[in-house]
Amino acid sequence: MERIAAGDAGALGEIYDAYGRIVFAIVYRMLASPEAAEEVAQDVFHAVWRRAGAYRRERGAVRTWLLAIARNAAIDWRRTRGKRVEREVELDAATAMRADSSVVDSVLLSLRAERVRDAVRTLPPEQRDVLALAFWGGLTQAEIALRTATPLGTVKSRVRLGMEKLRLHLAEES
Amino acid sequence: MNTHPTDDLAAFSIGALDASEQAGVDTHLALCEVCRAEVASFAEVAWGIAELAPLVAPGPTLREQVLDRVRPRTARVASTASRPPLLDGLRRIFDLKVPLAVPLALALLLAISLGGLGSARADADAYARAVAGVADGTVVTLAATAGTEARGSLVVPATGDPYLILRLPAPPAGKTWEAWVLRGEQPLAAGISGDRWGVVTLVLSQPVRPGDGVAVTLEDAGGVAAPRGTIVLQART
Repeated sequence: MERIAAGDAGALGEIYDAYGRIVFAIVYRMLASPEAAEEVAQDVFHAVWRRAGAYRRERGAVRTWLLAIARNAAIDWRRTRGKRVEREVELDAATAMRADSSVVDSVLLSLRAERVRDAVRTLPPEQRDVLALAFWGGLTQAEIALRTATPLGTVKSRVRLGMEKLRLHLAEES
Repeated sequence: MNTHPTDDLAAFSIGALDASEQAGVDTHLALCEVCRAEVASFAEVAWGIAELAPLVAPGPTLREQVLDRVRPRTARVASTASRPPLLDGLRRIFDLKVPLAVPLALALLLAISLGGLGSARADADAYARAVAGVADGTVVTLAATAGTEARGSLVVPATGDPYLILRLPAPPAGKTWEAWVLRGEQPLAAGISGDRWGVVTLVLSQPVRPGDGVAVTLEDAGGVAAPRGTIVLQART
């Protein structure tokens, strides 16, 4: 990040090489449009370029920072320039969207993804749904409560319990 | 130390708090190592969820497009001592006392009517929809040079970076559309369209302050440090 903040485009290329594919996959999952995903992915790395000086290692890993930028960029794009995706979203959605089999990365089969998928399957449906609406739908807890006609407190509990269970599951697995 | 926002940390990690809640937790985290550790552990879970995204690969040119957008900044270290003649013309255009900053509703009407003049109806419609989709902020319609089919609007959102919504014809081979922010007499390279054309959104790499000008010119592919090409769109904030 220090090199990027200093204007080293090569360092940005290295970050792209490490995370470009997953960033694109995340925004594609959120926007369901390859054109929009490419546009937003560009914006994400441009934001990295401009904000690298603001990155603080003690506040989290680079990938956590990058994930937040990517999700915010996708949410912002959808709210300002695209239509909100109204279809149902699933937390474990690896097969829920059309994916070109010729470009499916072998990482799809990685043990880590399988472990997370297994952990997701252990969640009660109501916890899985709120996490999906929050993570992939880009909705806040208040928006989820409104959309699902569920008390806000219940939504908050489901988010917290769902995340805690996933964390516990992943910790036990490792 | 305030009470720990324990119940909000999981939601914070996946961006599910509203803006004020998010800011409150963020402020707390700056001071609380315990909660930072908790957020870090939830962040690992969030990353795991992210890795469940269908792994559809980006186009092969995305990497180059990402790097293209930052190259003008690198190129700006080049001396601007010998200012191209075009710059004077650019400055004169920005000095025109034309009130181009218009209310949003009027901007939408202008954008739609301008869109109707173009030959590519689908692009015109897409452009109008894109401008109409701007949720908040100031919209400034860019004035188009006579003879060009290019159309554009500057959006300065209430939060976030300013961007251009552009409807651009395909650039000639070896050329790209490049955006500029003119601050005083200094043109600042603010991004290039790369190989994108049609209706595109270009987030400016420079802030736009009151009184700044914005322009789009046709330049050599990869962008240049100072404008030399034809101005197709311009406005003053």
